Amino acid sequence: MARTFKRSRHAEGLDVVLEAGEAAVLTRLCAELTTLLDRDVGNDGDGDGTEADPVLERLFPRAYLDPTEEDAEADWQRFSHDELMDGRRRAVATVEQTLAGATARRGRLELKLSEEEAQAWLAVINDARLALGTRLEVTEDMDMSRLDADDPDTAPYAVYWWLGVLEERLIEVLSG
Amino acid sequence: MTAPLETPTIVEPEIDETVEVARPWVVVVWNDPINLMSYVVYVFQKLFGYSKEKATKLMLDVHYKGKAAVSFGNREQAEIDVSRLHAHGLWATMERD
Repeated sequence: MARTFKRSRHAEGLDVVLEAGEAAVLTRLCAELTTLLDRDVGNDGDGDGTEADPVLERLFPRAYLDPTEEDAEADWQRFSHDELMDGRRRAVATVEQTLAGATARRGRLELKLSEEEAQAWLAVINDARLALGTRLEVTEDMDMSRLDADDPDTAPYAVYWWLGVLEERLIEVLSG
Repeated sequence: MTAPLETPTIVEPEIDETVEVARPWVVVVWNDPINLMSYVVYVFQKLFGYSKEKATKLMLDVHYKGKAAVSFGNREQAEIDVSRLHAHGLWATMERD
């Protein structure tokens, strides 16, 4: 997986090579993010809907810490929530479209990303980590090696860990 | 010959006590156990144009001190910065400086 992301040599953007299984996991994560975002009933400023789900609350946090700023918070939610939601949905759609357009070669999938598409990939990988990490209640000093194979959380933990590796590689290429 | 200097009239500016500029806002990013350190540095550079050094220092403050002030401005600017940070999955809030 070391060469998942590479700067294109002759053009702007990135070359991506994924194992078929990795592409399948990303496709599934896109569907899960869409399901999650669909559960958000929209925030009309009264604080209901998004508050019940810790994952949605993590993806769409408050802006104002001060509880006396409730009016300002409601105004801010009104002007920002839909835009934040649309941005997340557009990023998921971009990842789904680029994955669907990949070319199969020697058991792997190859695709090219523009800079903008690469940013969408970064956003979706990070949102998927936030969603999984929040659901699994991960901590900074979490020790993956102590997971029991019989633990039902082992598979999502493995996906969470893999997304971290993928994200580190993407950031390294984008910053380079 | 030079014209005699007129005594300038000093106009006292009217000060509107309610103007927000007098009370700038600060945008704070809080530590969380999920976002990668490299990602937080990348986002600070991308959103605020900070150098790698400054972005790294802010990230380390978030990581070790629990939070860092990443931008300052009037209410509207702070709200926009909070939105941009939330769009990138960082846990940000705003408060009066």
